[in-house]
Amino acid sequence: MSPQLSLKPFYTQRVEGTTIPDPIVKDCYAVFACRHKFCREVCPVYQDDRDEAHTSYGFHSSLLAVSKGMGTVGDLRESITNCLECGACELRCPNTLFAGDFYGSSTTTVDLVRKVRRDLVAEEIGFERYEEIVSYIDRFLGYFTGPEEELTRWAEGLEIPRSGESILFVDYFNAFETTDVPRKAARILQAAGADFGILARPGATLGELLDISLETFVEHARHNVAQLEAAGAKRVIMINPHDYTYFTRDYTAHLGELPFEVVYITDVLAELLEEGKLPFTGETARGLLGKVSYHDPCTLNKICGINASPRKLVASLPGVDFVDVSPVAQWSYCCGKGNASFKKLHPDKSYKIGAKRLQAAADIGAQQLVVACPHCQDQLTDVSSRAGVPVSPVHILTLVAQAMGLDA
Amino acid sequence: MAEAITDVQRGFEAALPELVAALGPEHVLTDFFHRAIRTTNASPMGLHLWEKLLPDVVVRPGSTAEVAEVVRIANRHKVPIVARGGGAGLADGATPLKRGIVVDIKRMHAVLEIDEENQTVTVQPGINMQELNKILRPLNLWYPDDPASYPVNAVGGRIGSGGWSLLGAGYGHVPDLVLSMEVVLPTGDVIRVGNGGARKIHKSSTGYRLKDLFLGHQGTLGICTEATLDLAPRPEAELPIFFATESYADSHRIIGALGRSGLRTIAGIFMFDQHKVEFLRRDDEAWIPLPSWVKSAAATILYGTRAEVEAARDVVFEIGGSLGGKYMGTEICEGDWASRHDRYHLAYHGRANGQIKLMSWSCEDAAINYSALPKVTREWHRIAADLVAKHPEHFDDWGMFTYTNGPFRAWGDYLTEIDIGVNELEMTEEIWRDWVQAKVDIARISVRAGGSVSAAHGGQREGEVDVSCYEELAEGQFDLMKSIKRMLDPNNIMNPGKYNLDEAYPGGES
Repeated sequence: MSPQLSLKPFYTQRVEGTTIPDPIVKDCYAVFACRHKFCREVCPVYQDDRDEAHTSYGFHSSLLAVSKGMGTVGDLRESITNCLECGACELRCPNTLFAGDFYGSSTTTVDLVRKVRRDLVAEEIGFERYEEIVSYIDRFLGYFTGPEEELTRWAEGLEIPRSGESILFVDYFNAFETTDVPRKAARILQAAGADFGILARPGATLGELLDISLETFVEHARHNVAQLEAAGAKRVIMINPHDYTYFTRDYTAHLGELPFEVVYITDVLAELLEEGKLPFTGETARGLLGKVSYHDPCTLNKICGINASPRKLVASLPGVDFVDVSPVAQWSYCCGKGNASFKKLHPDKSYKIGAKRLQAAADIGAQQLVVACPHCQDQLTDVSSRAGVPVSPVHILTLVAQAMGLDA
Repeated sequence: MAEAITDVQRGFEAALPELVAALGPEHVLTDFFHRAIRTTNASPMGLHLWEKLLPDVVVRPGSTAEVAEVVRIANRHKVPIVARGGGAGLADGATPLKRGIVVDIKRMHAVLEIDEENQTVTVQPGINMQELNKILRPLNLWYPDDPASYPVNAVGGRIGSGGWSLLGAGYGHVPDLVLSMEVVLPTGDVIRVGNGGARKIHKSSTGYRLKDLFLGHQGTLGICTEATLDLAPRPEAELPIFFATESYADSHRIIGALGRSGLRTIAGIFMFDQHKVEFLRRDDEAWIPLPSWVKSAAATILYGTRAEVEAARDVVFEIGGSLGGKYMGTEICEGDWASRHDRYHLAYHGRANGQIKLMSWSCEDAAINYSALPKVTREWHRIAADLVAKHPEHFDDWGMFTYTNGPFRAWGDYLTEIDIGVNELEMTEEIWRDWVQAKVDIARISVRAGGSVSAAHGGQREGEVDVSCYEELAEGQFDLMKSIKRMLDPNNIMNPGKYNLDEAYPGGES
């Protein structure tokens, strides 16, 4: 999948009031014209609330109706919040499936939703509960202006240099909320003999900014690219798949080709496994409990098409009893957190979508659900503690580290 | 007329607070976008007509009792009411013509009972076939209703439109697969209709066959709130076989011979005419490399045990090969069969003149006897050619398909369809009138050929509706329809305006 396909230059034109620029009218019509709504049936939000206004068909058709004078963009300030930004609808759209590459006409619902939210903010209408997103952003941007040593405190004792040809990119969410993820990634890479560094002061990579302020997002993108270049990066290893999508899709769209390669940690580890550099010890990996399934993070699977390397790693764990669900079948799954703002906007729906995902794992007999995304880990851990579904989420790096006999 | 509109508006204003009290405000939606997105179905409408068709409100009931209460409110205040399932119909069944209340049934999607021993399932009407089959798969059971819009149709919408299935020759169509159902009548009364009074019986001689009244009524007689469906064992083997041919006549001979072959594993037979092959050569990666001698295609889909399908395969190859068919290879057979649910719904299409144009898909279907297919095909294309010649920027002929139409048999009559690309974005009323006239002409050819205006979608859209009512149903049927409509729906609240049934009421004569 070509990353450039998903960001349409005419999305820079504002939608506001009753005005929908002509290229956006055509873009919306291209989804409306189908009206078969395959997008609806694959949408995790629709599967919960059964409201087709909250689907790709609903968003595109609502804007088309605005262009025909039936309402205003401001009327969408609540409905437009009902999107996980997971990308399932884009994949299931016949425009993408059949004509995406052929005519360069892929459906780009995620970008459209973000754009409409931003335009509503710019119009000073905002969207329902957007203040929650603004305060979340403010908290995280505070890290950027705070003491530098705080940003890398997660790496204490690991003796990782602040430069190198390979850089492990650790965002604020990993650095402050899920510190075990970067620590395990670093320990595994060190044990495999890989040379890498980290940034002393990474910029923010908040997807929430794409809902509020593209300018701030791009400002931090520039900072990150400059810092990585200055640190000598030729290859940047991501451990948060959301960052992977920002770097490979949004950064390239706004800043052009990046001066380094961007790779995801599971691809790196699968490569090391292939080279015999991941020494899994023992007949059964510690930490494995009964049947194990794998949850595809939306960002990796639906947006970036990375779904083979995590399966390879899970299947290689000594003694694993792996029950897989295909990546295509998982288009309609989501942990419920969404790509950025959804959980903060709709905590109840978020919980129900997550509980449904865990139940799907329980239905195939899984006792552990492996995740490869810190947000999925965070969300499913929260949901499993409330839902009473006997499935434990576990991060893939935890299992790999345990299989290698590494302590956290 | 202005007075009548005022009456409806007054009725709606009185009904609205009662709807809110019955369902809760979260399920009574008046925002423009909720109404706009639930006005359309899957066939082109002409965007210039959209706003005129908006309902006043969308309601989302969660139970039979709530549907019945909504209907009683509508009946009390004489407000039009239109049921909506997946919204993927091709005959405007769920599009309100006279505003009022749209009843979105998709919250009602529960599976109420699976009877493994007798192979039935009882569902609420908002579930779609793909959802249902995901649940049935671990039990090795299958609900074999397979229209082009299989992943998105609601079972209730399939019932309201009297749906047709690609696999009907093997497994029956919707009227055959629905064993019984619960229906909310226009007065709000709730009844159950089936084969006799039983819920899970396939054939009964008790009473009138009232179940059929509620299959294909296009929402004019009631709202289905529960259905008991027939299930098939999941077949062990599936095999699509496509033959390329040099002419329509060769394909026509092949499908006729396959139909008469006596093979019980045949679940469907279909063919692509020359315009369809040309269209696919422009748009479909699998068909682009086909050699130029390929002008048409004939195909069949086999289901059954492995042994049955393997034996049938040899017979099919013998028939196809002996009549000039060339097997198209596993990749195109499996790929084309797998994409049968998706192909027409993309808006970007290459045209014969090299343009890429945003167009929506219109599918004009009819039921036609085998012997009349070549003539109907020729005449339909002539109508399409005239339309395209007059409005080249607004219409395109995307060719014709033909499929077996009889339930549990692969012979006799066929669903044939002409697919026409329609440029809705640039539609004008004047061009729309020409389109409507083309639809009249297409429908008239079907009836004059001894066929029926629609095999699958319904015959009540603007254009074909007059041909349906006054030509096809002329021998007393339309008069009886009006009597039945008036009896069941004394206030004409259920989907008024459809099938010219307003004529059943004082002041409604055309």
